[in-house]
This record gives sequence, structure tokens and C-alpha cells, in this order.
Amino acid sequence: MLTSNRKTKEKVFFIGIGALTILIFIPLFHIIATVLIKGFPVIAERGTKFLTGTLSEGGIGPAIAGTFILTFLSALLGLPVAFLVGVYAYEYPKSTLGQWTKTLLQIMIEFPTILVGVFVMQVVAVPMGTYSALAGALALAIILTPYVAVYTHEALREIPSTYREAGFSLGLTRAKVVFRILAPMAKRGILTGILIGMAKVAGETAPLLFTAGGLYESYPSSVTKPVGAVPLLIYQLVQSPNPVDHATAWGASLVLLAIFLGIFIPIRLSLKEVRL
Amino acid sequence: MNFAIETVNLNVYYGQNHVIKGVDLKIPNRGVFALMGPSGCGKSTMLRTFNRLIELNEGARVDGEVRLFGENIYSGDVDPIEVRKRVGMVFQYPNPFPHLTIYDNVAIGLKLNGLVKSKEELDERVEWALKKAALWDEVKDRLNDYPGNLSGGQRQRLVIARALAMKPEVLLMDEPTANIDPVGTAKIEELLLELKEDYTIVLVTHSPAQAARVADHVAFLYLGELIEVGPARKVFENPEHELTEKYVTGALG
Repeated sequence: MLTSNRKTKEKVFFIGIGALTILIFIPLFHIIATVLIKGFPVIAERGTKFLTGTLSEGGIGPAIAGTFILTFLSALLGLPVAFLVGVYAYEYPKSTLGQWTKTLLQIMIEFPTILVGVFVMQVVAVPMGTYSALAGALALAIILTPYVAVYTHEALREIPSTYREAGFSLGLTRAKVVFRILAPMAKRGILTGILIGMAKVAGETAPLLFTAGGLYESYPSSVTKPVGAVPLLIYQLVQSPNPVDHATAWGASLVLLAIFLGIFIPIRLSLKEVRL
Repeated sequence: MNFAIETVNLNVYYGQNHVIKGVDLKIPNRGVFALMGPSGCGKSTMLRTFNRLIELNEGARVDGEVRLFGENIYSGDVDPIEVRKRVGMVFQYPNPFPHLTIYDNVAIGLKLNGLVKSKEELDERVEWALKKAALWDEVKDRLNDYPGNLSGGQRQRLVIARALAMKPEVLLMDEPTANIDPVGTAKIEELLLELKEDYTIVLVTHSPAQAARVADHVAFLYLGELIEVGPARKVFENPEHELTEKYVTGALG
């Protein structure tokens, strides 16, 4: 009697926890399903024109180009700095700045992204007198950097210290041990950070609101001129009263989902391969 | 007499802990010199003062002298990087770099230090080192494989080849067979007997039996102090100190 009561309690608890867990993921699957159901017919109806045409032609080509340019440019600006910051936090964990670096990176990850947008507007867009791809990419780079730095730091820390000792025992300088031995050993972890950071910025809207400007009737021609982005376009189209714009927004949502998953799925696959 | 390594009043502290206490040790050129003692006696710490690898541990402080062929490696103008090029090291856990091929594991020290002039010279040196480490025959057909597929004993011999490729004058070995199966251990011990003709090998071991099998000279360390040192035969058969006798007969730690 006592035993069966205990087991019943355990069962109830187990089912309860399981149900709650599933509940949490319902929105995720609902979002994916809705985007597919509403977005797919739009793309199917308009065909390749949707992916390459301008907004008045019923397409989001310039926005897709803008998202790729912004993501690429932000990676170009952010990755080298982020990598070096991660290495610094790993190499000098006991120094005052090293200790602060870890804390500050954590804060940067959680920082409200719209504030980053406001900041970049102040220091880049206002002095330049125009929105630009450069300003948008800089805002995104600021968001990308802490992800890559934290992942770089963690990936290096996971390497057993015996490999570090081995590197030094060969008469290598600190720089060679870190950049030529440890960093290549940690490349999967670092790459994961890069991809997560890029997936994150590819879907960002808030930091672009006051920096990128938007460009949907022609393809971007210069990094110092305004540029569009898929999430930014969705944000603007949804506010329009026109049902055609709403349809375009659904199609754009599916494209954004595809871009995001296109970056994210390789991360999952590469994580499985990790072995030491 | 010229010694490969000589310590003069060597002290090591980890923070407040005094782990090596005023050791004076003379390690002759050529042959296997075993540093033995129970776990925690400071033998690995002492080994790491011989190539200044101890400095990777920020809490460690070294006092006294370590002379490499007469030259104090702790004097202010000595670059630890240069010391480590002359003193190779093999570790307790076989640690070939997992992301490099067998070939590159042996070549990396030479490559990154710019010690060879051509690809041919590098090929030759890699082959030479692998032969010296008695691994060539087992890996010559798969130099581009990764060390993950090698056995523990093979990995350890690969690490020995990596160290030998630098043509060091002294080879430090920190319990190189602690994580190796008996067959692999026997092979490595056999290899030590060959290498000692050309090199000074300082072997840290917690096993008096291993020291007896391979060493020409042994030192017995206990709680950071040098208890006894001398020719292996003498120390094992006729120890002067009671603690040494207890240790070599297995009555201690």
C-alpha cells in the first residue's frame, strides 16, 4: 500500500513535469507551423520574383540582400575583436581587466538591443547624416561580439591543461601556443559561437530601427547608404493596413526562418561531432 | 664533472605551501635518473622546475638555482622559451594534439619554431624522431591519420617522438607509464634503455620497481625533501636511510 502510493506520486510528478515541458515548446512549434502555413502559399504564388524582386514588384530581394550584407559586415567588424577578447579572458583570468571582461560580456549578452541601436545612431548615423549599412552592421557587431567572445573563452577553457603544458614544453611562445595550438583545437566551439552569434544578428530588428534605415525598391549599392533587412521589413509591413503587405510579411517571415535555421542547424550537427 | 642538471638549494612554494625544501641534486650527463617518491612528495613539481614549466602555475614561486650544463636557468637574462627548446618533456597523460595528424604532431615544434629549412629536412627529421621513439614501423603507412586511433602506449611514444624531434639535450618524463597498459609500459621502458645512450632522461615515477628496472641513478624524495640519492643499485640494495628502505620495500605510501 505504502509503496504503491509512493509510485503514484512519482508518476503524477513525472507526467506533470513532462506536460509543462511540452507546454513550453508549443509556441515554438506553433510559430514554425504558422509561418509555414501562411508564408508558403505567398512564396509559391509569386515564385522566384518574391525572392529577387523589389517591394513594388511583390518581392523582398533587396531585404534579403540587405540581411546578408549586414550579417556579413557585422561578422567582419565583430569577429576579430570578439576572438581576441575571448582569448584575453582565457589567458589573463586573474588580471583585474580579465575578471571584469567575463562579467561585462555576460551583461552585453543580456543587454537590451534597442539601446545598442540608439547608441550607434548617436555616434554613427547622426554624424554621417544618414542611415547606412555601416551603422546597422556596427550595431549588429556589438550584439555579435559578446556571443563569440564567450564561446571562444569557454571553448579554450575546456581544453585540458596538459595540452597547454605540451605546447609550452616545445619551446613555443605564449602567442604560438594560444593561436597555433589551442585555438585550432577549440575551433569547433569557436565556430559554434560564431554561428550562434550570426544566427542571432540575422534575426535582429531593434538595433536596425535607427541605424539601417531600410531599402526595398532597389538593391543596396554602398555601405554608406541605407540598407534593408528582412526582419526590419517584416516590422514595417505588419504595420501597414494593406492585406497584400501582410501577405508579403508572411512570405518574408518564412525566408527569415529559413535563413535562421540554415545557420542554426549546422550548429546542432557540428556539436554532435565534438570529441576529445 | 659536468652535470646535465644541478640544483642548488632549490625551494618551491605554492602560496604559503613549501613543497620543495632546499634540494641539492646532481644529475649526471647521459643515462636514466629516476626521481621517486610517494604521491604528493613534490617530484612532478621538481621536474617542472627543470624546464621552467612550473611558471605556468601563477601561484608557484621558485627560489635557488637550477643549472643546465652549468648555466643557471633562473638567472634574470635567461629566456624560458630557449630553455624549453633544449629540455623536452613527456607527460603523465599521453597528450598528442588531437587535431593534428601523426606527422604534424612530430613536426609542430620544428615548424612553429622555424628550426628546419625545407620540407625534405622536416620529413627526414619526423622519420628520424619516430624511428628513435620506436614508433615508425607502426605508423609509417598512416602518418596522415589522427592520433585518436592509436593505443595509449603508441600515443605516449608519439609524444616522445614529438619531444625528440626538437633534438633536446635532456628529456623530462613525468610518470610516462602511469596511464599505459603493461604491454605499452614494457615497450616504453625498453625505449628508455635505448634512449639513455644519447640523452639524459629524468624520470619521475611513483613505482620503485620501475626505477629499479630502468634507472642508473635514483633520488628518493619525501614530503619535499631529498632523502637519498645515488646509483640505483646502491640505493635499492643498501639504502642509507630508514625511510628509503621502507619505501623501496613497499612499506611506505
